[in-house]
Amino acid sequence: MSDEEILADACLTLEQLCAAASLERDWLIRHVEEGLIPVAGGAIAEWRFTTVHLARARRMREIERAYDAAPELAALVADMLEELDELRARLRRARG
Amino acid sequence: MEFKDYYQTLGVARDAPAEAIKKAYRRLARKYHPDVSKEADAEKRMKEVNEAYAVLSDSEKRAAYDQLGKGYRPGQDFRPPPDWDANMEFSERGFSGAEAAGFSDFFSQIFGRGHGMPGGMHGAFSDHHARILLDLEDAFTGAERQVSLQAPKVDAKGRVSLETRTLNVRIPKGIREGQIIRLAGQGAAAHGAKPGDLLLEVAFKPHARLHPHGRDLHLVLPVAPWEAALGAVVPVELPGGTLNVRIPAGAKPGRQLRIRGKGIPSDPPGDVYFEIRIVAPAADSPRAKELYEALRQETDFDPRKDWGREP
Repeated sequence: MSDEEILADACLTLEQLCAAASLERDWLIRHVEEGLIPVAGGAIAEWRFTTVHLARARRMREIERAYDAAPELAALVADMLEELDELRARLRRARG
Repeated sequence: MEFKDYYQTLGVARDAPAEAIKKAYRRLARKYHPDVSKEADAEKRMKEVNEAYAVLSDSEKRAAYDQLGKGYRPGQDFRPPPDWDANMEFSERGFSGAEAAGFSDFFSQIFGRGHGMPGGMHGAFSDHHARILLDLEDAFTGAERQVSLQAPKVDAKGRVSLETRTLNVRIPKGIREGQIIRLAGQGAAAHGAKPGDLLLEVAFKPHARLHPHGRDLHLVLPVAPWEAALGAVVPVELPGGTLNVRIPAGAKPGRQLRIRGKGIPSDPPGDVYFEIRIVAPAADSPRAKELYEALRQETDFDPRKDWGREP
């Protein structure tokens, strides 16, 4: 049995998110600073990310890579996919 | 080890120009995008397509692959000539070392090496991330789970292979979707560095009736017309035990009832939301038909009375 700890909801540091999603640090900083990955303000060391950020960052990077897409376009696609996730979840709840 | 025909994966000719390869990749990336694809094996296909593209989009890797792959058929047993790569260095583009570690053995045998991590990422791969799929019931009772993880391992020759490890993880009561369990010191060991943490992202397997939303549970509660009309107390089985839900008289379909504190245990605990769905009995016997007939004659119920009043 190993030592485990449940992290609070918004908990991952920049380094942890980069490691978890195989992202480059510079890429992530650039996207946060341009507002494409929304994070509450403050210094880089204070940024905290959730699993929603993790999914978003991965999606955006994949879209940028697959289509040589501009970051703004990848963010727009990520916005729509997040809305799709939300609607699918609501549909599952409503269907019972 | 099976030989992989990357040209076949992307559906392009062996002499296809770079532009055609990119076009084929984008078409397939759209077809198998795991978020939108209707194909059953989208995720697996996407991985194959990514792997094929990682090789064929890179002129160095493509040249090496073409040279090695001469005369091989897909699925045929493949053995690279000894030390064929003694003087070859592949620069990493596009796909990170960690992603490439998820590619096939065939790929890592030829191209997989420990180098090539982008600059400024010192030690970044010493952490590791995985998803753990739990039953919703685990959130109510807590549980112990064995998790099998595949982590990239770099051998003395610098080649990357996948190593499977099994870990026992204690799932605490009150766990919610999207939470992260951190296992200190259980991450992948970076070259020479001490192992980082393992981050397990929690997700629930789909449940037939119950749909978690944060700490709350949502479910549809089917009721008989008379239960909705006259009020009733309906027992509902939940992972935390049986809940007696009071349906108020005159409950309308679609109405939501909330029972506080009976969702996922936590401080504060979540709530349970019931959406009332009225289910009418079938008129499948002479007696049932009689009862419907009586209802028709003795009430002036018009389900469409609001039609025409709408703007």
